[in-house]
Amino acid sequence: MIKKLKLTKWSWFVFFTGLFACAILLFASNKALTYTSTDEYCQSCHIHPDADASWKKSSHFYNNSGVRVHCVECHLPPKESNKYLFDKAKTGLNDLYGFYFKDKKSFDWENKRLLEHAVKIVYNESCLKCHQNLFSKGLSAEGGTAHLYYEKNAEKLNLQCINCHLDVGHYNPNYKHSKMTGIPVTATASQNIFTAPATVTTFGNFTEFIPNSAISFNMVAVKGGTFKMGSPEKEPYRKSDEGPVRQVTVSPFFMGEVEVSWDEFWTFFASTMSEGRVDPNEVMARNANSPDAVTGPTPPFGIPDQGWGSGKRPAITMTHYSATIYCKWLSKITGKHYRLPTEAEWEFACRAGTETPYFFPGDPKRLSQVGLRSKLFGADTANISRYVVYALNSSGKTQEPAFVKANPFGLKNLQGNVLEYCSDFYAEDAYAKTGTTVNNPKGPDSGTEYVIRGGNYSFDAKDLRSAARGYTRTTDWLKTDPQQPKSIWWYSDIKGIGFRVVCDPDSSIVIK
Amino acid sequence: MTKKNSLSRRDFFSTTAIVGAVGTIGAGALLASCTGGAPKLVPLQSLSGAYIPDLVDKAIDGKPLKAGLIGCGGRGSGAAQNFLTAGPNLQIVALGDLFQDRIDDCRKGLKEKFNVEVPDNMCFTGFDAYKKVIAAGVDLLIIATPPVFRPTHFEAAVEAGKHAFLEKPICVDAVGARLIMATAKKATAQGLCVVTGTQRHHQRSYVESFKQIQSGIIGDIVSGNVYWNQSMLWYKERKPEWTDMEFMVRDWVNWKWLSGDHIVEQHVHNLDVFSWFFGKKPVRAVGFGAKQRRLSGDQYDMFSVDYEYEGGVHVHSMCRQIDGCENNVSEFIQGTKGSWNSAKMEIADLQGKVLWKFDSEKEKADFKQTDPYVLEHVDLVNHIRANTAINQAEETAISCLTAVMGRQSAYTGAAVTWEEMSNSTLSYLPEKLEIGPVDMSTYVIAVPGKGKEVKKA
Repeated sequence: MIKKLKLTKWSWFVFFTGLFACAILLFASNKALTYTSTDEYCQSCHIHPDADASWKKSSHFYNNSGVRVHCVECHLPPKESNKYLFDKAKTGLNDLYGFYFKDKKSFDWENKRLLEHAVKIVYNESCLKCHQNLFSKGLSAEGGTAHLYYEKNAEKLNLQCINCHLDVGHYNPNYKHSKMTGIPVTATASQNIFTAPATVTTFGNFTEFIPNSAISFNMVAVKGGTFKMGSPEKEPYRKSDEGPVRQVTVSPFFMGEVEVSWDEFWTFFASTMSEGRVDPNEVMARNANSPDAVTGPTPPFGIPDQGWGSGKRPAITMTHYSATIYCKWLSKITGKHYRLPTEAEWEFACRAGTETPYFFPGDPKRLSQVGLRSKLFGADTANISRYVVYALNSSGKTQEPAFVKANPFGLKNLQGNVLEYCSDFYAEDAYAKTGTTVNNPKGPDSGTEYVIRGGNYSFDAKDLRSAARGYTRTTDWLKTDPQQPKSIWWYSDIKGIGFRVVCDPDSSIVIK
Repeated sequence: MTKKNSLSRRDFFSTTAIVGAVGTIGAGALLASCTGGAPKLVPLQSLSGAYIPDLVDKAIDGKPLKAGLIGCGGRGSGAAQNFLTAGPNLQIVALGDLFQDRIDDCRKGLKEKFNVEVPDNMCFTGFDAYKKVIAAGVDLLIIATPPVFRPTHFEAAVEAGKHAFLEKPICVDAVGARLIMATAKKATAQGLCVVTGTQRHHQRSYVESFKQIQSGIIGDIVSGNVYWNQSMLWYKERKPEWTDMEFMVRDWVNWKWLSGDHIVEQHVHNLDVFSWFFGKKPVRAVGFGAKQRRLSGDQYDMFSVDYEYEGGVHVHSMCRQIDGCENNVSEFIQGTKGSWNSAKMEIADLQGKVLWKFDSEKEKADFKQTDPYVLEHVDLVNHIRANTAINQAEETAISCLTAVMGRQSAYTGAAVTWEEMSNSTLSYLPEKLEIGPVDMSTYVIAVPGKGKEVKKA
């Protein structure tokens, strides 16, 4: 008993020492936790003065209420969350790694503030911790509709507050949380105004003029011919929808040298825009039933050029329907027959006579960032960068046509810059459904999604192969559009998509 | 026995419901109960989750509550008087209407019956009169203009932090319904009280019926029939000095953009009862309608709509405003074990044996106030003074949109789904509101379907 008592005395000492040590440790760690959560601490490592400055310009720093929102209040989960410590540690380690081992200049801060990246470092539950009432004083009727939509669909569609409120934490002059007003001024508006469209009498390249505007664009004569459409089974990164390879013949056509530019698209918008009070079904019926009527897009939400600039940059984010109505309008004002390319025409033009994965020399395995070799030695960018705007040379945005060289047909950027709409409905087995020799295939008779071809500024080289196929994803691309019904003109959740036009030669034109 | 259980459950969860529950169980609920061999009932829902108003005779006292009335027509003036009747220290202090003569009529009534005088500087006319009434130092708004304006007025009232009584219907289109729903959430967020003029929710016979049906006495609900068949409603003979706009607003129950047509304007009551009792939404509607004898406007005077609700339950809705026909304003609900009808306010089993009947004589003996148009204001005032929230706007918007859905089906001939309706851009509110000439050629009577139209001689 006595022995035990002595032992107990000893253990009391150990216990209290331990308790004291724990208390100090806790106190210190609490201090550390608090210290490492201050704005100053964040900014001591995050060497990006732009984020600091834009935060100070944002509504989370300076506002009517006087409340200031600090770094960790958005970039970590709420303190009460059981994820808090883990995510704080994870973020901290990531930041330490970046601070000590990465070249500061290699960070593309511009790119990191895009939604795609922002959703990874902003916690929606942290937004909702402070913003407890989504129906706040002064909320507009449109805002009410949008928040009703959020409440109904947040879980189902994984909606985030920053899908619509991206600039609240870091001010961005190029971001707008409102409907676009007015008509953007086209870059060349002060120049000569074309009174008539181009007259085309021979089958050769020509420049089309949009009447009553200063806008023109180049069309390339593509002679047509027979080619192997699709990719052989051994082509690296080939997907099953790229086969079987068929002998496809396409008739001659003219194709836009580059994708339809903002200058062109805004000219269309200016002369056809509609106000959106009319039911979209009615608009579509009107456009379908009358050959002359063209009811064009409603004003988009925000700035559809993403602040990258318009002018000769490709127009983006319009829907497939928008693109078809653009063609209808262009046909009407030029007296020609403009339309979207068929998938076969697109691939014929892209291959430009080649049967290799790209029209320029290159092995997809060497060009892609994905493989082990590329991971170790870096992807081969020399050749592809001259011809294609893609992940490794785009700086995360679309580029003007001058950025790249043309393919052997004289066409630019089919593979990269923006995804391009085709007129075909998409089907995985579309090639298998026809014979192996086929003339001017137009794709399945019916479907829900359309073929898109090429890749965009964010794509890896493996997905830029001439045969690679893609398709529209209407539901996903309208995920955050709170309008009821959703826009038929503009996608809310994809950026790098656009189109180029083709034109059928008039029957009077002799093609040698 | 089950009734006792449901009572104790309600007691446990809701102290505010005690008075009402005790009173109402007394008021005839026990007629058919406790006879010994009664089968065990399976409740449709626990009443603790449902809102049961405390239908007392008079509102509790408190500091003066100042109300402003927007829309001084027959119903607006009536609602103002109902409000003044509801309890002590209730005031009407400001009036707004498009027309001075309606304000004058309303003031006359208030002066004669309640000795209430509203001074000239608290009376406002014009399309923006509502803003001035809201800004006139009131605590709550009674909004009874033609319903197309309701969402805008409600939004302005809630933005200003005012409680509201919204006369039914509260919207006539999809855009309006969404504005009501978002505004209702704003009101709830501020703890404001909102009661709507679907007064059956404050009528003891309906509330008791609701409790009976929720207790499981008719089993699961399998179908319903709802009716508003009545004689011709009123219309205004156009005076030469009236502009198009003035004429239409004065004659509003005959113009679909103002009233939503009579399926929305009146029949919403009956559709609302079914939605309330069944607790689910319609998914699809297919309806007919026509104008046969209406003397003014661009509305129909009859509708017949088949509604399919969630769970495959069908409801037949019919409404008519024609003289010399069979009239009926009521609801009938069929369950697996029996049925309820509001014409007789009774519940019968599948053999026709009456299981329960609301005892209106007992209600008159137990209560001094039996007018649901007053009781809804009693409840509103009690909620405001007790500082407990009530908000009926969202529920009523759903009922209104249900009626809109039936109307759209009848107008077009197409089946209309709830999904389409709730996502629709349909808006009847003109972009420009001003007293003056209007292009009347756009106000045409809807003709469903395709084919050649029969021209009337």
